[in-house]
Parts: sequence; C-alpha cells; structure tokens
Amino acid sequence: MLNEAGVGAEAAPMDEKGTASASGKPAFRHRFPAGVLPLVEVATLAVAIVVPFAFAERTDLVTLATNVLILSLLAISFDLCWGLSGIMSFGQALFFGVAGYAIALVGRDLEFSDLWGTLPLAALVGLILSALFAAFLLLGRKPPTVIFVALGTLTGSYAAERLVSGWQYVGAGNGLSSVKLLKIGDYEFVEGTAFYCLALGILLLVYGGARFLKRSQLGLVLAGMRQNEERLAFFGYRVQLFKALVFSLAGAVAGLGGALYSYHQGFIGPGNMGPGLSTAAVIYCLFGGSGTIIGPIIGTAAVEVLSYVLADIDAIKRFWPVILGAVLLIVVMFQPKGILGLFVSERERIGSYGVRRKDRN
Amino acid sequence: MDTGIKLAFDLLAFTSVMVLIVLGLGVIASMMGIFNFAHGEFVMLGAYTVFVFESNGLPAWAGILAAPIVLGFIGLVLERGVIRRFYAAPIIAMLGTYAIGLVIREIVRGLLGGHYKSVTEPLPGAFTMFGLDFSIWRTVIVVVTLLVIAGTWLFLARTSIGLQVRGSLENPMLARASGISTTKLYAATFAFGAALAGLAGALIVPLYQLSADIGTRFLVQAFLSVMLGGVGTFEGPVLGAAVIGTTAAGLPWIVIPVLADPLVFVLALAFVKFRPQGFITQGRL
Repeated sequence: MLNEAGVGAEAAPMDEKGTASASGKPAFRHRFPAGVLPLVEVATLAVAIVVPFAFAERTDLVTLATNVLILSLLAISFDLCWGLSGIMSFGQALFFGVAGYAIALVGRDLEFSDLWGTLPLAALVGLILSALFAAFLLLGRKPPTVIFVALGTLTGSYAAERLVSGWQYVGAGNGLSSVKLLKIGDYEFVEGTAFYCLALGILLLVYGGARFLKRSQLGLVLAGMRQNEERLAFFGYRVQLFKALVFSLAGAVAGLGGALYSYHQGFIGPGNMGPGLSTAAVIYCLFGGSGTIIGPIIGTAAVEVLSYVLADIDAIKRFWPVILGAVLLIVVMFQPKGILGLFVSERERIGSYGVRRKDRN
Repeated sequence: MDTGIKLAFDLLAFTSVMVLIVLGLGVIASMMGIFNFAHGEFVMLGAYTVFVFESNGLPAWAGILAAPIVLGFIGLVLERGVIRRFYAAPIIAMLGTYAIGLVIREIVRGLLGGHYKSVTEPLPGAFTMFGLDFSIWRTVIVVVTLLVIAGTWLFLARTSIGLQVRGSLENPMLARASGISTTKLYAATFAFGAALAGLAGALIVPLYQLSADIGTRFLVQAFLSVMLGGVGTFEGPVLGAAVIGTTAAGLPWIVIPVLADPLVFVLALAFVKFRPQGFITQGRL
C-alpha cells in the first residue's frame, strides 16, 4: 500500500530509469545538472549567516528569522517521520508544545533556565513522549495501518490541546507567558542576534545529524521501509522497531524546537501543541520538498516570510489561510516533490547511501 | 428516575448527531478507502447553508432541506475535480482532503468574520410526555437519524443500485468487468456522503453556535467511530458512532469534563489498537 503513496510514487520511476541506465544515460541527468543540492545547502547557510547582519537594525526581521529557524526544527522533525521513513504523523506539534511547556514550568517552579540543562531536558521530554507514542501506535503484535498512525498522532495532538486549555496549573487557555529567559551562566538570551546565532547553531547541529542519518546505512533501511515495507520485513528487518526509533528521534528534535520557541517568544500556549501547528509542519515540509531535510527549511522560510509580508496588506491578509490551504492542495496534487523538485534531479533528491562507490572499489 | 430519563434522552440526541455525521464518513471510507478529512467542513457548510437561508429571510426548514442538496453538489464537484486523483494513494488523499477542508474552513471564517452566529430552532419548545418535557427539535433529530439509517440500509440491501455498490466494495475489478461503472458509483457515493454531512450540519446548527471551527470538533470523534466500528461495513460506523457518542456525552457526568474528551479518545484508540478490524469484521456492507 505504502509504495503507491506519495513518497513511494516519487521514487518508483527512478528505479526504472536507474536500471535503464545500463544501455544509455537516464533522461533526468540531462535535464538537471548534478550536485545542485550541496549548492542549495551552501546558499541557504550563506543567507542564514548574512541575515542577522543585513537586518541588524530591524529587530522585527531578526525575530522573524529566528522564528523561521525554530519552526524549521519542527519541519525537520516531520520530515524525519514522513520524508525519510514514511510515518504519517499529524501530531508533530504535540512534542514541540509539551517540551515548550516543560521548560516553561521548570523556569517558573524551579527557577532554572540554564542552557546546558534545559535544552537537553526539552529534547529528552520530546524523546520520551514520542517513544511512548511510538510504543503505543507503532509497536505491537499486529503492524498498525497507516490510517491508525495518522489518526493516533492527530488525536494525541488534539486531546493534548483540549487537556491543556482546561488545566489551571499550566495556565489553561491563556498558556504560560513571561517564560524565564534562557541563559548561560549570567548571560541571558533576549530576542535578537544572539538568540538567532544560538538557534542557527542548534539547527546546524540537528541538520548535520539528520543528514548523517539519511546518508547512513540506517537511512538506507528507512528508505527501503518507506518504499516497500513488506519486502524489508521479509528481509528480516523489524520494520516497526526502526519506525519507533526514528519517530522517537523526531520527537526529540521537535522538543528542542519547542523549548527554543518557548524561550524566544516568552510564551507557550495550547495552540502550540494542537493540530493547527501540526499541519503547519506538514505544509512547510511538503511545500519545500519532503525527504531532503533542506527542503523543509526552505519551505518554512518561504511560508513564514510570505505570511509576514502579506500580513501588512489587509486585502490579502484575511485570505492568507485560504491561499495556504490552496497551495497545499496544489502541491499535493501536482508537485509532490515541493519547490526543490523543480530544480533538483530525482536521483540527487533521493541520494546515495552507505559506503561511497569509489571507496568500495 | 426523571433525571435518568432526561439524561438518556440527551445521550440519545447527541448520539444521533454523531451517527448522522459518521454515516457519511463511514460510507466514503468503506467504499473508496479514503478518510475524508474535509468531512467536518462539510458538516459546517451544511450548518452555514441554514444560516445563509435564515439571514436572507427565508424559512429555516427550507435551508435544512437545501443543505443536503447543496452539499451533495459540492461533493460531486470535488470528487470529479480533485478526490478521484487520490484513490490510489490513501495517505495523499488524507493530505488533499485536509487541504480542501482548510480552504473551506478559512473561506467561511472570512465570511462569518470570525464571529459566533446562532440559528433559532425551527420548531422551538418542548412537548410533555409521562409528565416530562422533551425538546421537540432534539426529538426531530432522533427521528430523522433513524429514518436516514433505515433508508440507507434499505437502499443498500434491497435495491439493485445498492447491490452494485456492495459489489464494487467487495471487488472493484470484478464489478468493472461486469459492466458496473465504478467511477460513477464512487462519484455518487462521495456526493451521498457529503449530502449526509450537510444534513447533519443543518440539523445540529440550532443546538450549537455556528462558527468556522464547528466541524473540527466532530471530525476526530467521527474518525474514531469509523475505526472503532470497522471500515467496510454499514453497521460498524453506526455502532461505533453510537458508542463514541454515548461515551462522549455520558462521561462528563462521571469524570471532570476536562478529562472526558481525551479519555474517550484514549479508550477508543486502545480498543482499535487491540482489535484493528473494529467491532464488525470487514466486507459486509
């Protein structure tokens, strides 16, 4: 069933063309130059480094850019689930929000907000929570249906939002505001360039980790699982265990993002763990191009910057959510590879795995 | 005793609402294997139709009659234009229908201006039986639900079109080979499911205030009902909706209301986890 769905369908033609390449070069090599993806990565990094200096006096833009970096973590977290391993998670914001709440509470009740303690704590909260979800939804005697996983994550996210908005201890519908500032020693991170650099550093670490994961032998197993789960199961892989592993890691990434969000905004509310933000993650990822890790970041930046620009134009502002929905529909129907699919070749998008060919010979 | 009967009646009314909503969702999910994430928005559009009729000075009952027709038409257009591309890929279908739902919801939010609107009950008041007062409108909902269930069942079990529908569900390839146009059947089924959602929305709008988010409220519960009852059966979703509806309406009396909703979800998910096929085994629509 899975190999007919989106991610599967994208890669299937590549296999046919790949085998056809014995007689001649596959067509897509002519259409796209090779090695575009590293260029995209370098360009994105360059933009990310230039932004805080170029807009140093526009604090609102630096704040926006920091937001993009933080939401990128959420988008990457979704990409790890869906793009890399084919787990449809409609509740990725749950781990984001819960970790955000956790560190806000630690700041409020324990008066603790040191970087070395809180960020690992947030990742741990995300990891444990998503591992529990994975254990319930993915593991078990009978392999779960795709619909069950999607609905389970959606329900979890929805239920958490409802639960939190009725719980006085965590601020009920108002959420927790004036979250304690993140600090190292005596230095406190306020909104601005310093926070931006911190977020960029963390994003780079996560990106590097995700990239390594994707290109490793484990990434190969995940890709196989995504394309044809049954076949991998017959090879002897315990598919559900791998899925649970990736899902937990993605939860840790989302948790990290949630903590940064909470510190950056000084606020965390029930809406930050609900289906609304969960679907925003889906839109970021699909719009940018799922399964590429850099795609979700570009998608996040595009969507967030556009909505920021359009927020100033009253006529469009009201219909922005409608446009966003329409864009998602168009992407799903006509361009499942996202923006990146427009100029990155199929072969490069899917990538190569494990030991490099020249090292093997 | 009196409060007991009142409580039972309220449970029955809420359960009827759930059954109406779930029936359309269940029929679409069974037939095409598509979980329609825009279903909640179809319900909301049904409610909105009544609101439009009323605010233009037309009688509310005309709006309630028009809602299923309007929604049936919208369903038909959407199926022809968008949904039919997704039959081969159920996950993409979820994303696609979610996007459709998002568009519909935000358009209506823009039209309503983010306000809550209320629609008056077409048949206000209550009637007295055995010394107890029953709301007339809730009784109408219960009766209509029973009629719709009976009608749908008779249609599926007793007519030749119903036979074609059951045949295409069981084996689409064989149905096509036998000269049944599954394309037409799928379009009709989707329109029918949308019409049911529209009817449900039109009937419930006097009880709930109309807002853009009215559909989201029911969507998760409706999905769980279908999973709980078993995809691919007629009785399953109805039974699942009955169970979910009763639990959702009854639990707030037992535990604190904040916990009630999540508890229903957890119980339903746990059940589905250990019995993925649902209450009723697949393949007997």
